[in-house]
Amino acid sequence: MVRAIPAVLALVALSLAGCASSPPSPRPAARPFDDVRRVMVVPSGGESTFAVVEYSAEPGRTFDEILKWIPWQPYQAALRPAAQLVHRGINWALEADRAATATSRLQGLSPRSVVAESVARTLDATGWFEEVQIVEREPSAEERRRADAIVRVAVPTWGLVRVRDGDAGLLSGFADVRGQMAMPGTGVVLWEESQDVTSPEQIPVDTFLRDRDFARQEMIVVLERAGQRLANELLYSRSAGR
Amino acid sequence: MSQRRPVRLVALVLSLLFASGCGVKTAGLDVRYPEVGVNRSLLASAPPRRVEILPVADRRADTKRIGIRAGGDIVTSSPVTDIVGEALVLEVKKNGHTVAAERRDVVLAGAVEEFRLDVIGGYSSTQYVGRVVLAVTLADPHSGETLLLRRYVGISRRVVEKDSDNGWRDVMDVALARTMHDFATDPELASAMSRLLTAFNP
Repeated sequence: MVRAIPAVLALVALSLAGCASSPPSPRPAARPFDDVRRVMVVPSGGESTFAVVEYSAEPGRTFDEILKWIPWQPYQAALRPAAQLVHRGINWALEADRAATATSRLQGLSPRSVVAESVARTLDATGWFEEVQIVEREPSAEERRRADAIVRVAVPTWGLVRVRDGDAGLLSGFADVRGQMAMPGTGVVLWEESQDVTSPEQIPVDTFLRDRDFARQEMIVVLERAGQRLANELLYSRSAGR
Repeated sequence: MSQRRPVRLVALVLSLLFASGCGVKTAGLDVRYPEVGVNRSLLASAPPRRVEILPVADRRADTKRIGIRAGGDIVTSSPVTDIVGEALVLEVKKNGHTVAAERRDVVLAGAVEEFRLDVIGGYSSTQYVGRVVLAVTLADPHSGETLLLRRYVGISRRVVEKDSDNGWRDVMDVALARTMHDFATDPELASAMSRLLTAFNP
Protein backbone atom coordinates (compact mmCIF):
# COMPACT_ATOMS: atom_id res chain seq x y z
CA MET A 1 0.00 0.00 0.00
CA VAL A 2 2.89 2.34 0.92
CA ARG A 3 4.25 1.84 -2.62
CA ALA A 4 1.15 3.48 -3.96
CA ILE A 5 1.84 6.74 -2.11
CA PRO A 6 4.15 8.30 -4.78
CA ALA A 7 1.54 7.65 -7.43
CA VAL A 8 -1.19 9.25 -5.29
CA LEU A 9 1.06 12.23 -4.50
CA ALA A 10 1.68 12.64 -8.24
CA LEU A 11 -2.08 12.69 -8.70
CA VAL A 12 -2.35 15.40 -6.02
CA ALA A 13 0.37 17.44 -7.74
CA LEU A 14 -1.41 17.07 -11.06
CA SER A 15 -4.73 18.20 -9.61
CA LEU A 16 -2.98 21.23 -8.06
CA ALA A 17 -1.45 22.08 -11.42
CA GLY A 18 -4.92 22.01 -12.89
CA CYS A 19 -6.10 24.55 -10.32
CA ALA A 20 -3.22 26.97 -10.96
CA SER A 21 -3.92 30.12 -12.91
CA SER A 22 -2.85 29.88 -16.51
CA PRO A 23 -0.54 32.66 -17.70
CA PRO A 24 -2.15 35.41 -19.76
CA SER A 25 -2.36 34.56 -23.44
CA PRO A 26 0.88 35.56 -25.19
CA ARG A 27 0.82 38.82 -27.11
CA PRO A 28 2.03 38.87 -30.68
CA ALA A 29 5.72 39.68 -30.89
CA ALA A 30 6.77 43.24 -31.76
CA ARG A 31 10.21 44.70 -32.32
CA PRO A 32 11.20 48.34 -31.81
CA PHE A 33 10.59 50.56 -34.83
CA ASP A 34 11.51 54.04 -33.58
CA ASP A 35 13.32 54.69 -36.88
CA VAL A 36 10.16 54.40 -39.01
CA ARG A 37 9.31 57.89 -40.29
CA ARG A 38 7.23 57.40 -43.45
CA VAL A 39 4.22 55.12 -43.11
CA MET A 40 1.80 53.91 -45.75
CA VAL A 41 -1.58 52.60 -44.53
CA VAL A 42 -3.34 50.13 -46.83
CA PRO A 43 -6.86 48.70 -46.37
CA SER A 44 -6.55 45.00 -47.18
CA GLY A 45 -7.85 41.55 -46.36
CA GLY A 46 -10.86 41.20 -48.64
CA GLU A 47 -14.54 41.51 -47.81
CA SER A 48 -15.83 41.96 -44.26
CA THR A 49 -18.68 39.82 -42.98
CA PHE A 50 -21.49 41.59 -41.11
CA ALA A 51 -22.85 39.47 -38.25
CA VAL A 52 -25.59 39.84 -35.65
CA VAL A 53 -24.54 37.78 -32.62
CA GLU A 54 -27.11 37.43 -29.85
CA TYR A 55 -25.89 34.39 -27.85
CA SER A 56 -29.49 33.41 -27.28
CA ALA A 57 -30.08 30.45 -24.97
CA GLU A 58 -33.54 29.91 -26.48
CA PRO A 59 -35.11 27.77 -27.82
CA GLY A 60 -32.38 25.30 -26.70
CA ARG A 61 -33.17 25.59 -22.99
CA THR A 62 -36.87 24.96 -23.64
CA PHE A 63 -36.00 21.86 -25.67
CA ASP A 64 -33.89 20.64 -22.72
CA GLU A 65 -36.83 21.12 -20.36
CA ILE A 66 -39.08 19.13 -22.68
CA LEU A 67 -36.50 16.36 -23.01
CA LYS A 68 -36.36 15.99 -19.22
CA TRP A 69 -39.96 14.74 -19.29
CA ILE A 70 -39.10 11.80 -21.52
CA PRO A 71 -38.81 8.87 -19.13
CA TRP A 72 -36.36 6.73 -21.12
CA GLN A 73 -32.70 7.76 -20.99
CA PRO A 74 -31.80 6.26 -24.41
CA TYR A 75 -34.50 8.39 -26.11
CA GLN A 76 -33.30 11.50 -24.26
CA ALA A 77 -29.70 10.88 -25.38
CA ALA A 78 -30.78 10.28 -28.96
CA LEU A 79 -32.94 13.41 -29.16
CA ARG A 80 -30.50 15.84 -27.52
CA PRO A 81 -28.20 16.28 -30.59
CA ALA A 82 -31.28 16.85 -32.74
CA ALA A 83 -32.51 19.53 -30.30
CA GLN A 84 -29.10 21.24 -30.45
CA LEU A 85 -29.21 21.22 -34.24
CA VAL A 86 -32.70 22.74 -34.29
CA HIS A 87 -31.59 25.41 -31.77
CA ARG A 88 -28.60 26.34 -33.93
CA GLY A 89 -30.68 26.30 -37.10
CA ILE A 90 -33.38 28.63 -35.70
CA ASN A 91 -30.85 31.12 -34.31
CA TRP A 92 -28.73 31.00 -37.44
CA ALA A 93 -31.81 31.80 -39.57
CA LEU A 94 -32.87 34.69 -37.28
CA GLU A 95 -29.36 36.19 -37.14
CA ALA A 96 -28.77 35.72 -40.87
CA ASP A 97 -32.05 37.51 -41.64
CA ARG A 98 -31.10 40.48 -39.43
CA ALA A 99 -27.56 40.55 -40.86
CA ALA A 100 -28.94 40.63 -44.40
CA THR A 101 -31.22 43.58 -43.53
CA ALA A 102 -28.35 45.42 -41.85
CA THR A 103 -26.01 44.78 -44.78
CA SER A 104 -28.51 46.38 -47.15
CA ARG A 105 -28.68 49.46 -44.85
CA LEU A 106 -24.88 49.74 -44.85
CA GLN A 107 -24.29 49.39 -48.57
CA GLY A 108 -21.41 51.52 -49.82
CA LEU A 109 -19.69 51.65 -46.44
CA SER A 110 -16.24 50.04 -46.58
CA PRO A 111 -15.23 48.93 -43.06
CA ARG A 112 -11.55 48.50 -43.88
CA SER A 113 -11.33 51.97 -45.48
CA VAL A 114 -12.92 53.64 -42.43
CA VAL A 115 -10.58 51.74 -40.09
CA ALA A 116 -7.52 52.51 -42.25
CA GLU A 117 -8.37 56.24 -42.29
CA SER A 118 -8.75 56.23 -38.53
CA VAL A 119 -5.41 54.43 -38.10
CA ALA A 120 -3.70 56.99 -40.35
CA ARG A 121 -5.29 59.95 -38.48
CA THR A 122 -4.27 58.55 -35.09
CA LEU A 123 -0.67 57.91 -36.17
CA ASP A 124 -0.43 61.35 -37.75
CA ALA A 125 -1.69 63.11 -34.60
CA THR A 126 1.30 61.88 -32.58
CA GLY A 127 3.85 63.87 -34.57
CA TRP A 128 6.14 60.83 -34.45
CA PHE A 129 6.02 60.32 -38.22
CA GLU A 130 7.13 62.63 -41.04
CA GLU A 131 4.52 61.27 -43.38
CA VAL A 132 1.45 59.08 -42.92
CA GLN A 133 -0.15 58.28 -46.23
CA ILE A 134 -3.25 56.22 -46.95
CA VAL A 135 -3.60 54.35 -50.25
CA GLU A 136 -6.86 52.66 -51.21
CA ARG A 137 -5.22 49.95 -53.35
CA GLU A 138 -2.13 47.80 -52.98
CA PRO A 139 0.87 50.15 -53.59
CA SER A 140 3.19 49.60 -56.56
CA ALA A 141 6.86 48.69 -56.10
CA GLU A 142 7.81 52.32 -56.73
CA GLU A 143 5.32 53.58 -54.11
CA ARG A 144 6.48 51.00 -51.59
CA ARG A 145 10.08 52.19 -51.95
CA ARG A 146 9.01 55.65 -50.74
CA ALA A 147 7.77 54.27 -47.39
CA ASP A 148 9.74 52.99 -44.38
CA ALA A 149 6.87 50.74 -43.38
CA ILE A 150 3.51 49.58 -44.70
CA VAL A 151 0.61 49.08 -42.30
CA ARG A 152 -2.05 46.72 -43.65
CA VAL A 153 -5.46 46.83 -42.02
CA ALA A 154 -8.19 44.20 -42.31
CA VAL A 155 -11.69 43.86 -40.83
CA PRO A 156 -12.70 40.19 -41.08
CA THR A 157 -15.93 40.64 -39.09
CA TRP A 158 -18.09 43.52 -37.94
CA GLY A 159 -21.64 43.83 -36.78
CA LEU A 160 -23.77 43.83 -33.63
CA VAL A 161 -23.27 41.76 -30.50
CA ARG A 162 -25.08 41.30 -27.18
CA VAL A 163 -22.85 42.53 -24.34
CA ARG A 164 -25.21 42.23 -21.37
CA ASP A 165 -27.49 39.47 -20.22
CA GLY A 166 -31.17 40.30 -20.15
CA ASP A 167 -31.03 43.52 -22.18
CA ALA A 168 -33.50 42.33 -24.79
CA GLY A 169 -33.31 44.28 -28.02
CA LEU A 170 -30.14 46.15 -27.08
CA LEU A 171 -26.90 45.30 -28.88
CA SER A 172 -23.51 46.96 -29.33
CA GLY A 173 -21.57 47.56 -32.51
CA PHE A 174 -18.33 45.63 -32.87
CA ALA A 175 -15.43 45.26 -35.29
CA ASP A 176 -12.80 42.54 -35.16
CA VAL A 177 -9.74 44.08 -36.78
CA ARG A 178 -6.23 42.98 -37.73
CA GLY A 179 -3.16 45.09 -38.38
CA GLN A 180 0.34 44.32 -39.60
CA MET A 181 3.32 46.61 -40.10
CA ALA A 182 6.00 45.34 -42.48
CA MET A 183 9.12 46.78 -44.08
CA PRO A 184 8.92 47.15 -47.84
CA GLY A 185 11.67 45.35 -49.73
CA THR A 186 12.46 42.81 -47.01
CA GLY A 187 8.93 42.00 -45.87
CA VAL A 188 10.14 41.90 -42.26
CA VAL A 189 7.10 42.10 -39.98
CA LEU A 190 7.66 44.79 -37.33
CA TRP A 191 4.32 44.54 -35.59
CA GLU A 192 1.16 42.45 -35.73
CA GLU A 193 -2.02 42.72 -33.71
CA SER A 194 -5.66 41.60 -33.62
CA GLN A 195 -8.26 43.51 -31.65
CA ASP A 196 -11.88 42.82 -30.77
CA VAL A 197 -13.34 46.29 -30.56
CA THR A 198 -16.76 46.88 -29.03
CA SER A 199 -18.76 50.07 -28.74
CA PRO A 200 -19.20 51.21 -25.12
CA GLU A 201 -22.84 52.02 -25.90
CA GLN A 202 -25.83 49.75 -26.48
CA ILE A 203 -28.35 50.58 -29.19
CA PRO A 204 -31.84 49.27 -30.01
CA VAL A 205 -31.45 46.70 -32.77
CA ASP A 206 -34.90 47.50 -34.23
CA THR A 207 -33.95 51.15 -34.79
CA PHE A 208 -30.65 50.05 -36.29
CA LEU A 209 -32.40 47.81 -38.80
CA ARG A 210 -35.05 50.42 -39.65
CA ASP A 211 -33.04 53.66 -39.83
CA ARG A 212 -30.32 53.67 -42.49
CA ASP A 213 -28.64 56.91 -41.34
CA PHE A 214 -28.61 55.80 -37.70
CA ALA A 215 -27.09 52.43 -38.65
CA ARG A 216 -24.35 53.98 -40.79
CA GLN A 217 -23.46 56.58 -38.17
CA GLU A 218 -23.26 53.98 -35.39
CA MET A 219 -21.03 51.66 -37.42
CA ILE A 220 -18.75 54.50 -38.56
CA VAL A 221 -18.21 55.43 -34.88
CA VAL A 222 -17.35 51.79 -34.04
CA LEU A 223 -14.99 51.44 -37.02
CA GLU A 224 -13.23 54.70 -36.17
CA ARG A 225 -12.84 53.49 -32.60
CA ALA A 226 -11.39 50.24 -33.97
CA GLY A 227 -8.85 52.16 -36.06
CA GLN A 228 -7.84 54.28 -33.10
CA ARG A 229 -7.51 51.17 -30.89
CA LEU A 230 -5.33 49.40 -33.45
CA ALA A 231 -3.15 52.49 -33.91
CA ASN A 232 -2.77 52.92 -30.14
CA GLU A 233 -1.48 49.35 -29.84
CA LEU A 234 0.96 50.03 -32.69
CA LEU A 235 2.17 53.19 -30.94
CA TYR A 236 2.45 51.33 -27.64
CA SER A 237 4.69 48.71 -29.28
CA ARG A 238 6.95 51.27 -30.99
CA SER A 239 9.67 51.09 -28.35
CA ALA A 240 8.85 47.55 -27.20
CA GLY A 241 11.40 46.21 -24.75
CA ARG A 242 13.44 49.43 -24.55
CA MET B 1 -4.37 -0.78 10.63
CA SER B 2 -1.13 1.22 10.37
CA GLN B 3 -1.03 0.56 6.62
CA ARG B 4 -4.37 2.28 6.25
CA ARG B 5 -3.15 5.59 7.72
CA PRO B 6 -1.33 6.87 4.59
CA VAL B 7 -4.36 5.97 2.52
CA ARG B 8 -6.63 7.93 4.87
CA LEU B 9 -4.21 10.87 4.80
CA VAL B 10 -4.12 10.94 1.02
CA ALA B 11 -7.89 10.59 0.85
CA LEU B 12 -8.21 13.55 3.23
CA VAL B 13 -5.85 15.70 1.13
CA LEU B 14 -7.74 14.82 -2.05
CA SER B 15 -11.08 15.59 -0.39
CA LEU B 16 -9.80 18.99 0.72
CA LEU B 17 -8.57 19.72 -2.79
CA PHE B 18 -11.87 18.86 -4.39
CA ALA B 19 -13.79 20.69 -1.66
CA SER B 20 -11.69 23.83 -2.26
CA GLY B 21 -13.02 23.79 -5.80
CA CYS B 22 -10.97 23.57 -8.96
CA GLY B 23 -14.01 24.72 -10.89
CA VAL B 24 -15.57 28.12 -11.33
CA LYS B 25 -15.03 30.51 -8.43
CA THR B 26 -17.00 33.61 -7.70
CA ALA B 27 -14.45 35.39 -5.53
CA GLY B 28 -10.94 36.77 -5.65
CA LEU B 29 -10.30 37.38 -9.34
CA ASP B 30 -6.61 38.29 -9.51
CA VAL B 31 -6.77 41.04 -12.16
CA ARG B 32 -3.26 42.27 -12.99
CA TYR B 33 -1.33 44.80 -15.04
CA PRO B 34 2.10 43.16 -15.19
CA GLU B 35 5.13 45.45 -15.18
CA VAL B 36 6.89 43.30 -17.77
CA GLY B 37 4.39 44.36 -20.45
CA VAL B 38 4.73 48.11 -19.82
CA ASN B 39 6.45 50.11 -22.61
CA ARG B 40 7.70 53.66 -23.02
CA SER B 41 5.19 55.36 -25.23
CA LEU B 42 3.85 58.75 -26.29
CA LEU B 43 3.71 59.89 -22.67
CA ALA B 44 7.53 59.73 -22.70
CA SER B 45 7.63 62.47 -25.36
CA ALA B 46 6.85 65.04 -22.62
CA PRO B 47 9.87 66.30 -20.64
CA PRO B 48 10.34 64.43 -17.34
CA ARG B 49 7.87 65.74 -14.74
CA ARG B 50 7.29 65.23 -11.03
CA VAL B 51 3.79 63.82 -10.83
CA GLU B 52 1.71 63.41 -7.70
CA ILE B 53 -0.74 60.57 -8.22
CA LEU B 54 -3.69 60.87 -5.85
CA PRO B 55 -5.38 57.74 -4.53
CA VAL B 56 -7.75 56.47 -7.22
CA ALA B 57 -11.40 57.21 -6.48
CA ASP B 58 -14.12 54.60 -6.91
CA ARG B 59 -17.07 56.12 -8.78
CA ARG B 60 -18.75 52.85 -9.76
CA ALA B 61 -22.46 52.53 -9.17
CA ASP B 62 -21.88 49.15 -7.49
CA THR B 63 -18.63 49.01 -5.56
CA LYS B 64 -19.26 45.60 -3.94
CA ARG B 65 -18.69 43.41 -6.99
CA ILE B 66 -17.52 43.53 -10.59
CA GLY B 67 -20.11 41.08 -11.83
CA ILE B 68 -22.57 38.33 -11.02
CA ARG B 69 -22.52 34.71 -12.10
CA ALA B 70 -24.94 31.96 -11.08
CA GLY B 71 -26.25 34.08 -8.22
CA GLY B 72 -22.75 34.68 -6.76
CA ASP B 73 -20.73 37.87 -6.75
CA ILE B 74 -17.59 38.15 -8.85
CA VAL B 75 -15.04 40.24 -6.97
CA THR B 76 -11.35 41.05 -7.39
CA SER B 77 -8.73 39.83 -4.93
CA SER B 78 -7.43 43.40 -4.47
CA PRO B 79 -9.54 46.57 -4.40
CA VAL B 80 -10.25 47.83 -7.91
CA THR B 81 -8.82 51.25 -7.01
CA ASP B 82 -5.50 49.64 -5.98
CA ILE B 83 -5.27 47.66 -9.23
CA VAL B 84 -5.86 50.77 -11.34
CA GLY B 85 -3.67 52.99 -9.11
CA GLU B 86 -0.72 50.59 -9.44
CA ALA B 87 -1.19 50.47 -13.21
CA LEU B 88 -1.14 54.30 -13.40
CA VAL B 89 2.07 54.48 -11.33
CA LEU B 90 3.73 51.87 -13.58
CA GLU B 91 2.85 53.76 -16.75
CA VAL B 92 3.90 57.19 -15.44
CA LYS B 93 7.25 55.86 -14.15
CA LYS B 94 8.01 53.79 -17.26
CA ASN B 95 7.50 56.92 -19.37
CA GLY B 96 10.32 58.72 -17.57
CA HIS B 97 8.38 60.76 -15.02
CA THR B 98 8.83 60.76 -11.26
CA VAL B 99 5.97 59.90 -8.95
CA ALA B 100 6.36 62.21 -5.95
CA ALA B 101 4.24 64.13 -3.48
CA GLU B 102 6.75 66.98 -3.07
CA ARG B 103 7.94 69.65 -5.54
CA ARG B 104 5.35 68.31 -7.93
CA ASP B 105 4.79 69.76 -11.38
CA VAL B 106 1.35 68.28 -11.81
CA VAL B 107 -1.33 66.35 -9.92
CA LEU B 108 -2.91 63.35 -11.58
CA ALA B 109 -6.24 62.13 -10.20
CA GLY B 110 -7.81 58.92 -11.46
CA ALA B 111 -11.36 57.70 -10.89
CA VAL B 112 -12.71 54.28 -11.80
CA GLU B 113 -16.16 54.81 -13.32
CA GLU B 114 -16.65 51.21 -14.38
CA PHE B 115 -14.81 47.95 -13.75
CA ARG B 116 -17.24 45.32 -14.80
CA LEU B 117 -17.45 41.79 -16.09
CA ASP B 118 -20.59 40.68 -17.91
CA VAL B 119 -21.25 37.01 -18.48
CA ILE B 120 -23.68 36.32 -21.31
CA GLY B 121 -24.79 32.73 -21.12
CA GLY B 122 -25.75 31.20 -24.45
CA TYR B 123 -26.98 27.64 -25.00
CA SER B 124 -23.65 25.91 -25.61
CA SER B 125 -21.16 28.74 -25.12
CA THR B 126 -20.62 31.76 -22.88
CA GLN B 127 -19.42 35.23 -23.77
CA TYR B 128 -17.43 37.34 -21.31
CA VAL B 129 -17.31 41.10 -21.73
CA GLY B 130 -14.84 43.02 -19.55
CA ARG B 131 -15.08 46.79 -19.34
CA VAL B 132 -12.91 49.39 -17.60
CA VAL B 133 -13.72 53.10 -17.68
CA LEU B 134 -11.10 55.39 -16.15
CA ALA B 135 -11.42 59.17 -15.79
CA VAL B 136 -8.11 61.01 -15.48
CA THR B 137 -7.74 64.63 -14.41
CA LEU B 138 -4.51 66.61 -14.64
CA ALA B 139 -4.41 69.60 -12.31
CA ASP B 140 -2.02 72.43 -11.52
CA PRO B 141 -0.64 71.78 -7.99
CA HIS B 142 -0.49 75.49 -7.13
CA SER B 143 -3.75 76.90 -8.42
CA GLY B 144 -5.72 73.64 -8.43
CA GLU B 145 -6.89 74.48 -11.94
CA THR B 146 -7.92 71.50 -14.07
CA LEU B 147 -5.57 71.27 -17.05
CA LEU B 148 -7.10 68.23 -18.73
CA LEU B 149 -9.92 65.75 -18.18
CA ARG B 150 -9.93 62.54 -20.22
CA ARG B 151 -11.84 59.27 -20.14
CA TYR B 152 -10.32 55.99 -21.27
CA VAL B 153 -12.53 52.99 -22.05
CA GLY B 154 -11.11 49.49 -22.40
CA ILE B 155 -13.42 46.67 -23.48
CA SER B 156 -12.58 43.04 -24.13
CA ARG B 157 -14.83 40.27 -25.48
CA ARG B 158 -14.26 36.52 -25.46
CA VAL B 159 -16.41 33.49 -26.23
CA VAL B 160 -15.64 30.29 -24.36
CA GLU B 161 -17.17 26.83 -24.48
CA LYS B 162 -16.61 26.21 -20.78
CA ASP B 163 -17.03 28.70 -17.93
CA SER B 164 -13.77 29.33 -16.03
CA ASP B 165 -12.33 31.88 -13.63
CA ASN B 166 -9.12 32.06 -15.70
CA GLY B 167 -11.19 33.16 -18.68
CA TRP B 168 -12.82 35.87 -16.55
CA ARG B 169 -9.47 37.16 -15.31
CA ASP B 170 -7.91 37.22 -18.76
CA VAL B 171 -10.82 39.29 -20.13
CA MET B 172 -10.45 41.83 -17.32
CA ASP B 173 -6.63 41.89 -17.72
CA VAL B 174 -7.04 42.73 -21.43
CA ALA B 175 -9.70 45.39 -20.74
CA LEU B 176 -7.40 47.03 -18.17
CA ALA B 177 -4.38 46.82 -20.49
CA ARG B 178 -6.33 48.50 -23.32
CA THR B 179 -7.39 51.31 -20.96
CA MET B 180 -3.81 51.89 -19.85
CA HIS B 181 -2.43 51.74 -23.40
CA ASP B 182 -4.97 54.38 -24.49
CA PHE B 183 -3.81 56.50 -21.52
CA ALA B 184 -0.12 56.13 -22.43
CA THR B 185 -0.66 56.89 -26.14
CA ASP B 186 -3.01 59.84 -25.72
CA PRO B 187 -1.47 62.80 -27.63
CA GLU B 188 -3.56 65.31 -25.65
CA LEU B 189 -2.24 63.99 -22.35
CA ALA B 190 1.36 64.07 -23.63
CA SER B 191 0.77 67.58 -24.95
CA ALA B 192 -0.66 68.80 -21.62
CA MET B 193 2.32 67.31 -19.78
CA SER B 194 4.69 69.05 -22.22
CA ARG B 195 3.05 72.46 -21.75
CA LEU B 196 3.49 72.44 -17.97
CA LEU B 197 5.57 75.18 -16.42
CA THR B 198 8.00 73.94 -13.83
CA ALA B 199 10.31 75.50 -11.31
CA PHE B 200 13.20 74.64 -13.59
CA ASN B 201 11.42 75.75 -16.77
CA PRO B 202 9.30 78.81 -15.89
